Amino acid sequence: MKRFAKISVAVALVATVGLAKEVKIGVVLPMTGPLAAFGQTSKGGLDIAYEQNHKLKNGDTIKLEILDDRGDKVEAATATKRLIDKNKVTVILGEVASGNSMAMAPIAEKSKTPMITHASTNPRVTKGKKFVTRACFIDPFQGAIGAKYALDNGYKTAVVVVDAKQDYSVGLAKAFKKAYKNGGGKVVGTVLINSGDKDFNAQVSTIKAKNPDIIAFTGYYPEAALMARQARAVGVKAPFIGADGVGFPELVKIGGEAVEGFMYSDHFNEKAASSDVAKAYIEAFHKKYNKPADSMGALAADAYNMILAAMNKCIDEGKAPTDKICVNTNLRNTKNFQGVTGVISIDKNGNAVKSGVVNEVKNGKFVYKTTVNP
Amino acid sequence: MDFSTFMQQMVNGISLGSMYALIAIGYTMVYGVLRLINFAHGDIMMVGAFVAYLANSAGVPFEISVVIAILAAMLTGILTDKIAYKPLRDAPKISLLITAIGISFFLENLFNVLFGGVPRAFAAPEYLTKILHLGSIVIPVTVIIVPVVTGLLLGITLLILNKTKYGMAIRSLAFDIPTVKLMGINADFIIMLVFAMGSALAAIGGIFYAISYPSIDPLMGILVGLKAFAAAVVGGIGSVTGAVLGGFILGFTEIVVVAFMPELGGYKDAFAFVFLILVLLFRPTGIMGQDLERSRF
Repeated sequence: MKRFAKISVAVALVATVGLAKEVKIGVVLPMTGPLAAFGQTSKGGLDIAYEQNHKLKNGDTIKLEILDDRGDKVEAATATKRLIDKNKVTVILGEVASGNSMAMAPIAEKSKTPMITHASTNPRVTKGKKFVTRACFIDPFQGAIGAKYALDNGYKTAVVVVDAKQDYSVGLAKAFKKAYKNGGGKVVGTVLINSGDKDFNAQVSTIKAKNPDIIAFTGYYPEAALMARQARAVGVKAPFIGADGVGFPELVKIGGEAVEGFMYSDHFNEKAASSDVAKAYIEAFHKKYNKPADSMGALAADAYNMILAAMNKCIDEGKAPTDKICVNTNLRNTKNFQGVTGVISIDKNGNAVKSGVVNEVKNGKFVYKTTVNP
Repeated sequence: MDFSTFMQQMVNGISLGSMYALIAIGYTMVYGVLRLINFAHGDIMMVGAFVAYLANSAGVPFEISVVIAILAAMLTGILTDKIAYKPLRDAPKISLLITAIGISFFLENLFNVLFGGVPRAFAAPEYLTKILHLGSIVIPVTVIIVPVVTGLLLGITLLILNKTKYGMAIRSLAFDIPTVKLMGINADFIIMLVFAMGSALAAIGGIFYAISYPSIDPLMGILVGLKAFAAAVVGGIGSVTGAVLGGFILGFTEIVVVAFMPELGGYKDAFAFVFLILVLLFRPTGIMGQDLERSRF
């Protein structure tokens, strides 16, 4: 009996010390549905970051549990619940669309599971939440980038297009209008659309009658591409300016010539990246996918690496990397983190403070225009 | 709103309305015969658009890819009937409704797995995407073609139903399936025919939808299928002409809400469905619908 006890103690010791454990990160992304490009590009970057590093300091291995929510708010909430309750993940990474992240945030908050969204920019995602962090800037900043860029280029009147179904769009439109008016611009009209719609002829006819200098499009790429086509078809000449929801290859594939000159603010352009971290990522990205690195993937990689950094810090502090409270505290205290998309510091509200870029579609390519600092 | 903008909005209404009408007639035809709301109709529409896209991308000329797509959709419809509906022919209608929803999910997810969920650009030949100018009013050529196609298909459908032997069999099936069987008619074959016709209509609708709004994905059929269903119900489900009428009413409602009340444009779907409820409150059988127990072609 004594010997047996000794053996079992030894086995237990080996099990806890010698054998590396698995630490799970739950990922919720729209892999299918109208916003699938968000999920696909995010996962592309996540895969690169995972291949570059999936071991913690103590030898534990990271395991990604990826669930598809089809871009749907209810599905996003269900997936989050399942990852926490059933898969027992330590951290949740996701979503892209702000509305979906806002459906997930209360669930993460309630179960005290740290959640980091790599790309949701609506301020309300993290508002009042202790366990929700983000790796990207927020819309008041992004709206200001767009408004300033439009005014600097001489576009004095604007019609704002709002996707009434998306919290992202509603918040961004508000931010854009405020910054645009403060800068001396005039908003001559607002038109509403719904994501999932394909017919915007009524809206573009209204825009044509208002004859603005520029159209501020605050929605996502599927609607942007179709709306631009329909606008050009009825003879609307004003250029479009959008934000990080439009910069996807599908914009050009579906929009064709109609999206030439489409300007948008974004998180990242590989032409503007200079750090070693970014260079290593971009090189790995080109090697694997043979195309330019996109911003969603880069943000997902940053969010993933921020999680790893927070877990490693917990190990340094003598705590387990699966200690949710510890991981969350370190995540929220991220300072001067060198990411692919730039240097990331998290403020007291859980938002990242970092620079943004402006790109423009030229000959079907996303061309880097300028970098804007906070 | 000046005159040309007003006219432009009317053109937009015709464009959207005829699109809903085209899709709704397939919906209503299957219902008219089988009393089955084929919830997979929108997804068969998606199959049509996808097959046309895939064939066209593989280098097949556009016109031939359309034919291939229609055949593929017909095959999908027939297989759906054989696998999911035929074994339940004598079961309560509610079981059929559930399997129809099941088929709908199956098709959506099958295409998701096979081709991924990222929207793709649907390319059509120039003569179908041309834009005509009438003064300051802009008319995409599909606005003219779609109503013509809808009318043509409506005519052909009515002709088949009213003037052919098969049509007579279809109409009699709508009355009473057991008696029709006793008369020596192969009921299963006729029902298969109905599904083939309904699916062909869905495929044509899907292809025109993809030409007008050239972005296709495996879930494209859900919303438009729902709208076409609403159109069919407003018009009086089972009535082919009612479906056309319902389609136009729904299309115009959506456009008018956005055009005259732009600040409420985000709620246009709500307006369309409130309208549906109102119609049903006052005319439970829809505008053209009559006695539920009789055929209404």
